[in-house]
Amino acid sequence: MTATIIGLGNVFLGDDGVGPLAVETFRSEYECGSDVEVLDLGTPGLDLAPYLYDRELIIIIDAVHAGSPPGTLSVFSEADFVSRRAKLRVTGHDPGLWESLAHLRLAGRAPAELVVLGVTPESCVFAEGISQSVSAAASEAAAVIARLLVDRGVACRRRPTAAKPNLWWLPIAGLERAAI
Amino acid sequence: MARISIDPVTRIEGHLRIDVEVDGGAVNKAWASCTMWRGLETILRGRDAREGWVFAQRFCGVCTTVHAIASVRAVEDALSLDIPPNAQYIRNLILIAHALHDHIVHFYHLSALDWVDILAIPKADPARAASIAEGSSAWSGNSRRELEAVQSKVKGLVESGQLGIFSHGYWGHPAMRLSPELNLILFAHYLQALDFQRKSCQVVAILGGKTPHIQNLAVGGVMNAINLNSLATMNMDRLGMLQSILEDLIPFVQQVFLMDNCLLAASYPEWFHYGKGVANYLAVPDLPVDAKATQFDLPGGVILDGKLSSIRPILNWKDEGFRKAVTEDSTHAWYQGGGPLQPYKGESVPDYTDFQENAKYTWVKAPRYNGSPMQVGPLANILVGYAAGHALTRKWTETAFQGIASVHGLKVTPDEMQSTMGRYLARSIRSAMLAELALEHLQLLTNNILKGDDTTYNLPQFPSGEIMGMGMHEAPRGALSHWVVIEKGAFTNYQAVVPTTWNASPRDEKGVPGPYETALLGNPVVDPEKPLEVLRTVHSFDPCMACSCHTLDATGREIAQVKVQ
Repeated sequence: MTATIIGLGNVFLGDDGVGPLAVETFRSEYECGSDVEVLDLGTPGLDLAPYLYDRELIIIIDAVHAGSPPGTLSVFSEADFVSRRAKLRVTGHDPGLWESLAHLRLAGRAPAELVVLGVTPESCVFAEGISQSVSAAASEAAAVIARLLVDRGVACRRRPTAAKPNLWWLPIAGLERAAI
Repeated sequence: MARISIDPVTRIEGHLRIDVEVDGGAVNKAWASCTMWRGLETILRGRDAREGWVFAQRFCGVCTTVHAIASVRAVEDALSLDIPPNAQYIRNLILIAHALHDHIVHFYHLSALDWVDILAIPKADPARAASIAEGSSAWSGNSRRELEAVQSKVKGLVESGQLGIFSHGYWGHPAMRLSPELNLILFAHYLQALDFQRKSCQVVAILGGKTPHIQNLAVGGVMNAINLNSLATMNMDRLGMLQSILEDLIPFVQQVFLMDNCLLAASYPEWFHYGKGVANYLAVPDLPVDAKATQFDLPGGVILDGKLSSIRPILNWKDEGFRKAVTEDSTHAWYQGGGPLQPYKGESVPDYTDFQENAKYTWVKAPRYNGSPMQVGPLANILVGYAAGHALTRKWTETAFQGIASVHGLKVTPDEMQSTMGRYLARSIRSAMLAELALEHLQLLTNNILKGDDTTYNLPQFPSGEIMGMGMHEAPRGALSHWVVIEKGAFTNYQAVVPTTWNASPRDEKGVPGPYETALLGNPVVDPEKPLEVLRTVHSFDPCMACSCHTLDATGREIAQVKVQ
């Protein structure tokens, strides 16, 4: 099965960057076959469509204002999300997601299944970094992604030793900029 | 007299508010306001100058690569560092593929529905539509069967009563005037465009390592390994793959995208007479063909007062005139201070008031060129090329004019391009040119590699004292420049003067309005509750507010509110 794991969010907007953080954590802790793509797409708007095109399974990780405590993980199916949509304050990336899906559906190229893994943010403030409650949920989010894949028969296993995640946008405490 | 406020304008990237006063069915005053704060520069200060591009490409979720490239060019300019020819060609191919992607999405997915009425599609005769479409181009996707399939999908949507993402369009508006058949043809291409959007992404991914955030750049060149004997690097297979994707993509751009704009122009000729606005145009040279960037495939220049004969060329990136001419003023923007500042000395300290039409009303500063507002974008690009006698620009502009005339004889002149419709047409002409240049630059790269040159990178050396540099790029939305001040290898100032800042500029310290604000004057508005005509002119600029200011609103209202007072 072809699957794409997509982290959405602006890495400079505090907890809005939880999508990129979660996929990078997943990449460092788990490994999958070549039919699984793991992508940090930032805030692509309508440019999301090419990445959803003709794939069988899409898992999107994004900050979702679900009214639950910060760091809470919630899994939504596409139908579930559409029907409860009115009650959810979704992120700014939502219009791009639903429009891209609608376009692909009309063109007959939509993914067979779409799952949204939402993480409730605490604070989406520019340049203030990710909050403790949300960054603590990243490993759990990676585990949920792995379970979603395995449940659907997609091979995915925990790495014996975690690789180093590339979190270039997060300030690193106590580390001065390398001298040139 | 009615006062209309559209907040936010939909089908653009980011948040834009437009206010207009309408009297006697036409706009007589307009204000453009960006409702999000921009704080990009704050993030760059203190960063390692070699890594600035990694951060700069997150300025915007859509125009990622353009900021990455402008950033490395600015640092290379500060260091007077040339890059190898392979690096120029690889960067150029990425820029071309990204621009094609961007222009396709803008026309079909962000603005076509200002002109195409979905609810009219069920009334179309697919056989007639197929004969019109097949008569206008050799494209294979215009068969009766193809069009029938699209029509039946739209019928299903309309009959279900669940229009979904299409439920807020101005369907049946009196300004919608395409025949049912043309509506069907354009909407069929709207769906087909998704495949070509994807193909242009593949080109960027092959060269850049990843999309939308490329990984292959470096100050000094690119990090692509070139070895014709290795499977893992840039080799003849990879080059062949690029060639074959481009050969699929190019016919769609040159035969479908360009022709659809000709059909639109022939059907809405009055839009060549609305939306002129600021008639000063600025385009910067791009697609360098040599290591030292002395020759370019896209010419740059300045045109004043709409007179093509006034052109002053910008021959290369070292152009002193350009560096001295650009200033930004924040008299009407929510920043401290007022008067015009040169970007190296630019400041961005927030000073938010409410929307005050006679004082501060936007997060966008007012950039000026020797004190004048300038219009940037594909139209500036095409007018500058046309005025400079650039052969490729002339060839595709004439092709477009013939395409329009072939529908029912409408003659368009380069002067009439200075209009809302001209901006749409220019974008499709520019795309046809870029499609042709894509193959040329792939050939330049292949030839250079076959010559035995596998160099892609020159090592940067940073002095300890202060250096300044400016990087230009003629981006999909127009002239972009990044201005950097570097000390001991780190940024001490970073200012980006982005295309949408030029076009969405507020009034300046002298009260002179910017291009959006001016272009809307005289724009018709039949129904103040449904200001479709205002959207046509605003969308013709392809607004992208995400980097002209900053995305701060994470909740994102979806439906534009139109308030009429």
